Amino acid sequence: MGWLNAIVQGLLLGGLYALFATGLSLMFGVMRIVNLAHGDLAVVASFLALALVSGTGLPLWVVMVVTVPLFALLGYLTQRVLLQRSLGAGPLATLLVTFGLSIVLQNILLEVFSADTRTLDGGSFATASFHLTDSTSVGYLSLTTFLLACAALAGIQVFLSRTGLGRMLRASADDRETASLMGADSRHVYGIATAIAFATVALAGLMFAMRSSFDPSIGPSRLIFAFEAVVIGGLGSLWGTLLGGMVLGVAQSLSAQVDPALTLLAGHLIFLAVLAFRPQGLLAGRAA
Amino acid sequence: MRDIPTGGLGRRSFLSGAAALGGASLVSACGGLKGTGGSSSDVLKIGYVSPQTGPLAGFATADNFVVKQIQQAVRGGFTAGGVKRRIEIVVKDTQSNPNRATEVTRQLINSDKVDLIVGSSTPDTTNPVADQCEANGIPNVTTIAPWEAWFHGRGGKPGEGFKYTTLFFFGMQEFADCFFPMWDRADVSSKNVAALWPNDTDANAFRQGLGPMMKKSGYTPVDGGAYQNGATDFTAQIATFKESGADLFTCTPIPPDFQTFWKQARQQGFKPKLATVAKVMLFPSEAEALGGLAANIATDFWWSPAHPYKSVLDGKSAKQLADDFAAETGKQWTQALGSVYSLFEIAIQAFKEASDPKDRDEVAAKLRGMKIRCMSGDLDFTAGPQPGIALQHPVGGQWRKGERFPWDVVIVDNSANKAVPIGGDLLPTNA
Repeated sequence: MGWLNAIVQGLLLGGLYALFATGLSLMFGVMRIVNLAHGDLAVVASFLALALVSGTGLPLWVVMVVTVPLFALLGYLTQRVLLQRSLGAGPLATLLVTFGLSIVLQNILLEVFSADTRTLDGGSFATASFHLTDSTSVGYLSLTTFLLACAALAGIQVFLSRTGLGRMLRASADDRETASLMGADSRHVYGIATAIAFATVALAGLMFAMRSSFDPSIGPSRLIFAFEAVVIGGLGSLWGTLLGGMVLGVAQSLSAQVDPALTLLAGHLIFLAVLAFRPQGLLAGRAA
Repeated sequence: MRDIPTGGLGRRSFLSGAAALGGASLVSACGGLKGTGGSSSDVLKIGYVSPQTGPLAGFATADNFVVKQIQQAVRGGFTAGGVKRRIEIVVKDTQSNPNRATEVTRQLINSDKVDLIVGSSTPDTTNPVADQCEANGIPNVTTIAPWEAWFHGRGGKPGEGFKYTTLFFFGMQEFADCFFPMWDRADVSSKNVAALWPNDTDANAFRQGLGPMMKKSGYTPVDGGAYQNGATDFTAQIATFKESGADLFTCTPIPPDFQTFWKQARQQGFKPKLATVAKVMLFPSEAEALGGLAANIATDFWWSPAHPYKSVLDGKSAKQLADDFAAETGKQWTQALGSVYSLFEIAIQAFKEASDPKDRDEVAAKLRGMKIRCMSGDLDFTAGPQPGIALQHPVGGQWRKGERFPWDVVIVDNSANKAVPIGGDLLPTNA
C-alpha cells in the first residue's frame, strides 16, 4: 500500500512541478529566454501575496485572484522594459539579465522582508485531506494544485491553438522575422507570452508557499525542479511539461520509498537519462 | 557586504582618508588619522563576524541592536591595563558563506587590525572564523554552534584544545538532557521516537550521537532516512513514522523543510503526541510561519527573557534586553540576542582582566580561563568538555499563543537547568 501512496503523492507533487515549469517552458519556447529568475519570481509573488494579506486583511483566495493578474501585468512590463532590450544582444545577454534579476530580487526581498521564513496560511485547507484508502490520504491543497496545473495548461493550449493572438504567438516562436512581416508586433506578442509565464509562476509560487514555506533565498532551489520538468517533458511542449513534472514527482516519491537518501538523486538521474537518451524530451513538441 | 562602522572611524572613511593622503603609506596614514581621536592604544577594536544576509540571516536579526546596546553600556569607557579604554566594533557579514567568513576575518585581522574577534551562528561561521584567528594569533570567542562540530570539525586535540579560540554553547549530551526529561513526562504508549534527520553535518551528528543515547535511555529511534535537504515531499518518511506507531518526534532539518514536513504530516495523519525539535523553531518567525500547527512544539532554549540572567556590563536583565529590543525594532526577541550580547561581555571582560589588553597571548589566556556570570548565565571556560569551551544548559520550551506577539515561548521543563523558572505545564503537541 505504501507504493500506491507514493505514486499518488508523486503525481500530485508533479502537478506542482508542472505548474512551476509552465512559465519557464513558455518563455523558452517563444523567446528562447532561459529565465534564471523564474524561482525568485515565484518567491516575489509569495511575498506580494503575504504583504497583501497582512496589509489589507483580505482572505487569501481573494489575494490570490488579485496577485496572479497583477503578476501578469508585471510580466508584460518586464518583457517590454527589460528583457526586450537584451534580446537583440544574443542569448547570453538575456541569460545574464535574468541571472542579475535573480540576485537583485533576492536582495530586495531580504532588505524589505528580512530573512525570516514565511508561509501563506491556507488554514485548514492547507492541511485537510480525504482518505483514498487506509494508508493513502490526498490533501485538498495538493489536489487543487494538480487541477490548477491541468487547467492552466489546458487554458494556454486553447489560447495558443484557437485565438488569433495565440496563432501570432506560435508564428513568432517559429520565425520572428516572417511573423513581423505578416504584421505581428513581436514585442507585444513577447510581452503577452511573458505575462502568461509570470501569471503561472505566481500561481505556482502561491501554491508552493501554502504547501511549504518561503524566504528570500529559496528561489534558485525551486528553479532546478522546474528546469528538470521542462527538459524531461520536452522543451516547448506544454503537455510534455505536465508529464515531465509527474515523472519527476513519481520518481522522487518512489525512490524515497526505497531510501529517502535517494529522493533528489533519483529525480536528477531521470533528468540525466532523458538528456542522454532522449534529448528532445518524452513528448517532443513545438507547440511553443 | 555591509560594513557598519561604529564609533571612531569606519574602514571606508579610513581608507578614503588614507587615499586622500596620497603617497603616504597605510601605516603612517593610520597613525596620523588615529591621532585625531586620542592615542590609538586607548581604543580596543573588536571585530564581529555573523551571517547578516543569506539563508542564515535569521540568526543575525539582533546584531545591530546588540552592537548599539554594548556601545551604550560602555560609552563611558572602562579601565583595562591601568588605562581608560573605549571600544570600537567592526561588523562584517559572511553572507552565510564559510569562504566569505574566512575572507572577512582576514580583512578584520589585516586591514582593520582588530584586537579580538567574536563571531556567531552555525559552524559555517564559527569554524572558519576560529581557524583564521587561531592561525593569526588573534583572541577569539564564538557561539551558537554545537561544540562537537566546532572542536572536532577543526581537528581539536582532546585535552589540549586551541590556544586563541574559545566557544560557549552546548552539545549532544545537553540536547539529550533537555529532550529526554520531556519524553519521560509525556504520556505515550510507545517508546519509539520518530527522527527526521537529513543527510547533513548536524543531522548526522544527531544520528551518531543522540541515537545511541536514546537507546541507552530506553527509547528507540525510528530513523526516517538520510534524505537530502531541500526535499519537497516527505511521504516516505511519514509512512515510516506512522507504521512504527511512534508517539514522540524529534528532528534537525533545515527550517523550510520542517515547514513542509510538518504540514504534510498533518495532511497525511501523522500526529505525534510530543514533538521536540532541534535546529528549527528557534525563532518566533518560524512559529508564525507555521501558524496554528506551531502550538506546543517543544524545542531547546538556551536563552529566553525568562532566564534569570543579567548583563555584566550594566546589570540589564534578560527580560529588559528583550523588551528593549522589541521597543526599538518592533521585533520579537530571538535566542541569538542573548548569545551575541554575551560575546561582547566576554570580550570586554577579557580586556579588563588582562594586564595589557593589547597583548594577544594574555587576552587569549584570559578567555580560556574565563569564569563569568553574564547575559548567557554562568559560563566557565575551564570546566567544559574540552579546554576553552563553556557549556550552556538549554531547557525545554513550547510555543504557545502569545499576548504581545502571535507566538511566545513557555518554559515547560527545567530539568537541565533548575535556575530557569518554569512558565507552564508540558502539554501534548497533538492531543
